[in-house]
Parts: sequence; C-alpha cells; structure tokens
Amino acid sequence: MNFSSKLLEEAVQAFASLPGIGRKTALRLVLHLIQREPQHTERFVQSLLRMRQGVRSCTVCYNLADSELCQVCIDPRRDRSLVCVVESIRDVMAIEDTHQYRGLYHVLGGVISPIEGIGPEQLHIEGLIQRVAQGEIQEVIMAVSPTIEGDTTIFYLSKKLREYPVRLTTIARGVSFGGELEYADELTLGRSIVARVPYQTDATSL
Amino acid sequence: MYLQRLVLTNFKNYDWQSLELSPGLNCFTGLNGMGKTNLLDAIYFLCIGKSRSALTDAQLCRHGTDFFRLEGWFQTDDKLVQIVAKVQQGKRKILENNNLQYANLSEHLGLFPVVFIGPDDTQMLTEGSEERRKFIDNTLSQTDPTYLRCLMTYQKVLLQRNTALKQFAERGAFDAGLIQALDAQLAPVGRYIHQKRKVFAIELEALVSLIYRHLANNEEERVQSRYCSSLQDTAFEDLLARNLDKDRLLQRTTAGIHRDDLELSIRSLPVKRFASQGQLKSLLLALKLAQYRYLENQKGLQPVLLLDDLFDKLDAPRVARLFQYLQSGSFGQVCITDTDAARLEKIVQNLAVPLYHYQVQNGSAQLQNSTL
Ligand SMILES: [Zn+2]
Repeated sequence: MNFSSKLLEEAVQAFASLPGIGRKTALRLVLHLIQREPQHTERFVQSLLRMRQGVRSCTVCYNLADSELCQVCIDPRRDRSLVCVVESIRDVMAIEDTHQYRGLYHVLGGVISPIEGIGPEQLHIEGLIQRVAQGEIQEVIMAVSPTIEGDTTIFYLSKKLREYPVRLTTIARGVSFGGELEYADELTLGRSIVARVPYQTDATSL
Repeated sequence: MYLQRLVLTNFKNYDWQSLELSPGLNCFTGLNGMGKTNLLDAIYFLCIGKSRSALTDAQLCRHGTDFFRLEGWFQTDDKLVQIVAKVQQGKRKILENNNLQYANLSEHLGLFPVVFIGPDDTQMLTEGSEERRKFIDNTLSQTDPTYLRCLMTYQKVLLQRNTALKQFAERGAFDAGLIQALDAQLAPVGRYIHQKRKVFAIELEALVSLIYRHLANNEEERVQSRYCSSLQDTAFEDLLARNLDKDRLLQRTTAGIHRDDLELSIRSLPVKRFASQGQLKSLLLALKLAQYRYLENQKGLQPVLLLDDLFDKLDAPRVARLFQYLQSGSFGQVCITDTDAARLEKIVQNLAVPLYHYQVQNGSAQLQNSTL
C-alpha cells in the first residue's frame, strides 16, 4: 500500500500491530477516525492512555483493577466464603459471563510447567495460601484447564492447602472445554461451576 | 482390511503418483534411491500418522516444495475409508478420515494396524534398550488407546520432572511439593504401562518361539523374552521416593518404566552378546511377525505387512522359509521392495495370491505385471 501521508501510514501501522488486525482493517479504522470529529480521536486516545496508566493488578486476587482492590473484591454482594482459582484474567471474564458464580477469584497467572520456566514461585500461589489462612474462605474451586500441567498445578495446590480446613472442589471435568476455559460456551461452563465436584488426590485420570 | 489406492503428492522424491494396490501381494522393484522405500513409508504414514524415518514431517516434502499430501483408500469389511494426511511447513499436520479432521492425531492410531520390517532393524536386538521399548510401545499403542494416552502423559511429566531437577540444581533450591505433585502424576500412568508391558511380554514370548522355530528350522533353539522393569518388585511411588537423592544428584529421573528392557535370549544365551548374524536375522523376523500376530489377535483384523529390502541381507534358505511361513499362515496385504526384479519374481511366482508388480524409477512407479 502506498500512502500520500506519512502520518496516515504510521497510524495504520500502529493498528496493524494489534493481534487479529490486518493492514486492510487497520486502514479502514484509521480512515474512520479521520472522518469523525477530532474530539472523537482525542477521547479514544485518552481512554487508552488512562487505561494503560491506571490499570493494575488487584493486590488480593490479581484480577485487573483500578485501585488496590478490583471490582469483584470490593463488591459486598459477593460470597466471601468461595474462591475460584483460574489461570488467567480471561478465564475470570469467561466465568463472569455465565452469571452463575457469585464468589471471589484468584488469578494464578499460568500453570506449573518447568520446561517453560514456570515453577510454583512464578505463580501467585503464596497469595492464595495467605488468603485461605485468614479463615474466611470455606471452599476453593479449582477451575484450571484439564491439561497435564493443570493437573500438576491442582495437585501442588491441594498439598499446600491440606493443612487448612477448606473444601477443595474442581469444576466438572466430564465436560469438554476444548482445551481452554475461555472457549467453553457459557452454558456448559456455567453448569460445570454449579455442579462442581470434590477434588480427589487420586483423580489423575488414565 | 487393505489399502486399495494410494496417492502421493510431493512426498519425498514423488512429484505426483497414484497406485492401485492388490489385497494380496505388492512388489516394488528398482535400484536403490529410486523411491521404493518411500512408497512403504507413505503407507506406514497413512496407518500410523507419522513417518517411520527419523525425518521431521517438513523434511518429507519433495525437494524445493513446502507441503506434501498423502491419500489412501482403505477397504474394510463393509466400507471404504479415505485417509488423507496433509503437511505444510509451519502449520500443524492434518489427518482426515472421510473428510473429517481428527481433533487428536492419536485417535487415528490403531484403526489400520501395520508392521514394518526394515533392513537395519536387527539393531533393535543388539543396541540399547530404547529400540526394544519403542517396539513394545509401537505395538501396544496400536491396540490400546489408554496405553498411548498414558505413555504420552508419562513422557510429558517425566520431561517436566527432569527439567525441575535440573533447575533445582542450578538454583540451589528444592521444592519437595513440586516433585510430589509430579510423582503423583507419574505413578498411575507408569503402573498402567508396566502392567500392560508385563502381560504383552508373556504373549510375545509364546508367539516368537513358535515363529522362530519355523524360520530357523531348528526345534532345539528356544527363544525367551524376559521383561525387565524396576517396577517389578517395588511400587512406583516408593521407587521414586527412594531414588530422589540420586535423582537430585544426577539431575534426572533414574528409575521408572522409561528404563525398562526386553531381554531376549536363545538357548538361554542373551542374543545381545552371543547370537550369530543368522540367529539375529531369524529372531528379528520372528519378533516382527509375532507383532503381526499379536495385532491381528487383538484387533481382529490383519495388519498391513511392509517388508523393506530384506533379501539383500537374508540368505536364500531364510528367504524361502519366510515365504513358506507367509504362505502357510494367513496373511492380509503384503508390500515388498527389492532391488532385483528377477529374484523377487522367482520367489513370488508360485504364491497363490493376487499380485501387483511395480517398477520404480526416479520417483515414479509403473505397473509391470498383475495377476489380479
Ligand atoms: Zn480482586
């Protein structure tokens, strides 16, 4: 593509650097911005800047937050006896979309996989144990993907949490998640959260 | 079950080739390097989902191209099944069954059992234990999907454990909880694999002895195959726990089913040290034909038998007895390669099976002769 304006070309490149956006779509988006009033672009850029500068990790659950605590953690209607352990922020969003879960979350930031350089200390495991140690949590739901690494992580957590009087459950493993939580359809995911089952140490399936 | 039609596109030295195959015997003759073995490898690929060679999928593309495609039409009892394998550089391999893509390649394994006998396979008898484990795994993976799943899990967790041991040593740290978590995953799958191998070794010994006696033409020579495993008299969990200090020192997992072996002996003498070249060849054929019988018994259908370039390495009496055996027992589809067309024609001329003979030259196969 040849551009008559260097500034236009730079903006197209900026959009095209985003995942899932090709050069054609990028150009369409930039031309759209040019056709709108300048204030529109200003508001657009401002919201991105504010988001990037302001967004942070919730100090309790490692969800995305605007301040110390995220919207879920400060919501008084949430059930504080329940915590759902997930790999990523996107999993939180997938579960929230089901409207079936009213407890709290804990985002691990991945699963244990030494070959990818991820040991327990790279994940937010210590924070989870501290939360459980405080005593308010009665049930920990492991909503980690049903992979070999996911199993390692769940087993590791179950050992660490064994000394505390909490119930450990997993979301029903019979349902197909297509590998990742976020791809499960809302209905299936919602149902499997409601119909969670007690975690058993020897549940490593053959 | 047999392969009725095979189409190769950009596979190894084949540009494009379509072949009709006989449900009985198929002979491919031609000079070395012309592409005889590549045809057998294509058939193997369609049955197993990967090449028999050590090459990566991308390396199987014809020189100067970046993809290949294999298409096979398998005739089973009541239906015709089309299997297509597509490999494109930088993309995931695709395997299709009647135009339906497998979500998991492992679902395909075992649908079309296959046995391959190659010229260098006697290494399996003389070298380290890995080749013998591969032989067992190849067989059991074709008959037992759970075995395959356990094996894949075992290998993945073992790699994680060994990596963790290395990282502990490098960082001077140790996390007992992580090792416990990994051991808890290794134990059940390791136990399953161990049990299956144990039972298999017993059945294998009976089959091998019978076939070897026929091939060696010697009633005296008794073959024994003994399965050796550190799980034999210790529970796997205990074994892992007991070896932990050693494992940490050596930075790898020292005990487990990844160290198992199959000890083969003739007249109670280990073949690794005492067998003659002739005995090794007979034993290898016997093992592979035993694999054939085992697959046949388990699956209830006859595997495809691929014999690659055997006659240069085998003496005439052994070849004769091999064919006697092939003729006496019931066999399904057999594909044979040889450099010497006249020799092969002579060997197979009296066999009462439908036959196709292809001449292979520079990545092209021409039908010479057919008794179909
Ligand atoms: Zn939070």
